[in-house]
Amino acid sequence: MAMPAGIDFERRYAMRRPTWGGAWLIFSLWLVAWMPLPTSAQDTSPYIPASADTVLQHVPPATDPRVRQFEALRQDAAHHPGDAARAVALAKAYVDYGRATGDARYLGRAIAVIDPFMKAVDPPVPVLLLHATVQQSRHAFAASRTELDQVLKRDPGNVQGWLTLATVAMVQGDFSTANKACVHLANTGGDFMGLVCSASLRSLDGHARQAYAMLTLVQDPGPKAPPAIHSWIEGLMADTAARMGDAAAADGHFRQALQFTPGDNFLLADYGEFLLGQGRPREALALVADDPTSDTSFLVRVTAKVMMNAPDAAKDIAQMDARFAAMDQRGDHVFLREEADFRRVAHQDANGALTLARENWKVQRASKDARAYLAAAIATGHPAAASEVIDFIRATGMSDPILDPLVQQATAAAVDSKAKRR
Amino acid sequence: MRWFALVLIATACLVSPPDAMAHKESDAYLTLKTDPGDPHRLHGQWDIALRDLDFAIGIDSNHDGAITWGEVQAHKGAIEAYALPRLVVKGDGLTCELQATGQAIDAHTDGTYNVLTFDAVCDKNIPSRLTVVYNLMYEVDPYHRGIVTIHDGAKVAGAVLGPSHTQASLDLHEPGRWSEFTSFLVDGVWHIWTGTDHILFLLSLLFPAVLVRRFWPACVDVIKIVSAFSVSHSVTLSLAVLGIVHVPSRLVESGIALSVLVAALNNVYPLVHRRVWLIAFAFGFIHGLGFASALTGLQLPPGAMAASLGGFSVGVEIGQEAIVLAFLPLAFLVRLTRFYRFGVVRVGSWLIVAIAAGWFIERAFDVVIPGFASILPN
Repeated sequence: MAMPAGIDFERRYAMRRPTWGGAWLIFSLWLVAWMPLPTSAQDTSPYIPASADTVLQHVPPATDPRVRQFEALRQDAAHHPGDAARAVALAKAYVDYGRATGDARYLGRAIAVIDPFMKAVDPPVPVLLLHATVQQSRHAFAASRTELDQVLKRDPGNVQGWLTLATVAMVQGDFSTANKACVHLANTGGDFMGLVCSASLRSLDGHARQAYAMLTLVQDPGPKAPPAIHSWIEGLMADTAARMGDAAAADGHFRQALQFTPGDNFLLADYGEFLLGQGRPREALALVADDPTSDTSFLVRVTAKVMMNAPDAAKDIAQMDARFAAMDQRGDHVFLREEADFRRVAHQDANGALTLARENWKVQRASKDARAYLAAAIATGHPAAASEVIDFIRATGMSDPILDPLVQQATAAAVDSKAKRR
Repeated sequence: MRWFALVLIATACLVSPPDAMAHKESDAYLTLKTDPGDPHRLHGQWDIALRDLDFAIGIDSNHDGAITWGEVQAHKGAIEAYALPRLVVKGDGLTCELQATGQAIDAHTDGTYNVLTFDAVCDKNIPSRLTVVYNLMYEVDPYHRGIVTIHDGAKVAGAVLGPSHTQASLDLHEPGRWSEFTSFLVDGVWHIWTGTDHILFLLSLLFPAVLVRRFWPACVDVIKIVSAFSVSHSVTLSLAVLGIVHVPSRLVESGIALSVLVAALNNVYPLVHRRVWLIAFAFGFIHGLGFASALTGLQLPPGAMAASLGGFSVGVEIGQEAIVLAFLPLAFLVRLTRFYRFGVVRVGSWLIVAIAAGWFIERAFDVVIPGFASILPN
């Protein structure tokens, strides 16, 4: 998801010799740096709205079937306190809703529902599993794995447990654990699950073509499959096609996925970053135009505007700064990779970006994390700072058309500087 | 079909390895500012997300998914009733009273917030160390964080509070012992001026003191009485406030009533003639215990306790001297008149006897004399 790290973008702004366009960009960014931050997280001033009819905030309406489902599950759980299964059902509904809409508040609400059961010495397996899933969503990967280990020790046939473990391990760059989890998944969950799991892993460790072929086998799960399943597989195929360097195919799969689950927050950000990487900021901007309140969509928007030299980019940069400040204030560091890219592209702050990318690398090691780290190191003029990423890429075989040139550039520069020293 | 169900459970999981959420989690912003004009008061502003309030107590009354200002206003009381009990503000360990003062709206980076303004009134002391105990939302969202900022003039301090870390203590300033002293001094003055029983006791003793030919001996007599009273009540005041002596309040209060009764009765049937100061001295011990009731139970830190006790004692003395200084010259001027000798000393004393007897009965036997309270509330 290293959206600004796209190869075309790199070519346009990092490798190209200074031009008037570049000079303007730098000048406008310099201007931005002097502007006071309009909205720090809490120094806004309270006001009284003009009329009682003024709409202040949108919340899930009762017409949303998912909201009605919450209500039913909530009452059910309230009538049966102490029933872990009912609590888990409600918590799961919250988690699903939070993921679809990107509203992180629902993760906490889910945790509150299962919290009483987590206090037991041996929490029920479904409770523990849900807790681990939320930990994963909040990027507490180590904590999530500890809980998953407990789940799988007590219930070795737990399909979702293996799947979540595979996911966490892939994000952490622990491909051998991910592989083991995929094998267990195939044994317990059936061919379909095993295939998708292995394909996801192959897609990461430099075998995108093979992964794509595997996914083609399961691409059509049948007309009875829910849209979320279709969307899921299309999204995986899009990412895999992008790693193969087949931009047209990736484009098609992203569009397909969005037809199945329109407005899905994760897909929008993923597709938006892909478009930015392709040097198509106008399309990226149009894609995320509907939801400026989503941080991930807004990051795509800001980067697109910077790439397009949009006159109002400065305003959006300031707004994004405020959002990062608000996250920082509560002690959240979930967006380290995104923030690293943002610092490098929007603020030309290579050193700041490198610090953040390095912190991020301690927690997650997907290809976008590697890109962010390499791009930041190259921007500082000391590509050797990213040697741990290069070592990792060599060891795992991780590869994609955006990552590979960055690796080449970094290693060439490293060789260069060694030669000079001699 | 079986794997559909399995996949459904799992989908969201694999779809989004690095699934950064669209919004940050729940925060509320709490700001406390000291008031330069009133050291007992802090002004609070508490910004709570409308989305959070809607989830916790329901703000979107018509469930149309759009929260309007009208709906927020309609829930003003409910918001206060939900939020304020989940916040404790303490000054030097003593809980300050929270009073809602208003409602507004504020925009933050992740949505619109309800602004609850309130005052924290720490009327028992002047807080030097402020403690905030924060418990909002945890029952429905343990990832909620209270972002607390405290402004004391130009000084700013902050903390992020959550369920595993619910309170933060912040040193506002060096303990303001002098301002604490003066604050309690004022308390002491008011305590004696509004304590009718103390005033009547003192006046009863002073009535006959001026009945001499020359001013100076009258003065000496008054000084003797007042000093004796001061010495003895200071002793018991200190002992009681420091927790060394504890006498049940019923005994103290009825003892004070008895002292007024005896002092006034001595004016009409003089038992003690030349040494009225002895009465003042003896009963002063009981009055001291009475003064202490305003200070006991505060459990102030030692430094603050010394300052407040000192200030209060000095205040009591000042209040008492002020009464004496107002009484003495006036009474001396009119001491030869029939009005004074009969009206004030005799009738006045009888009146005081009656009042004190009423007090004594009420306080000693814990009964209410019908109509008595409307004559004299004390």
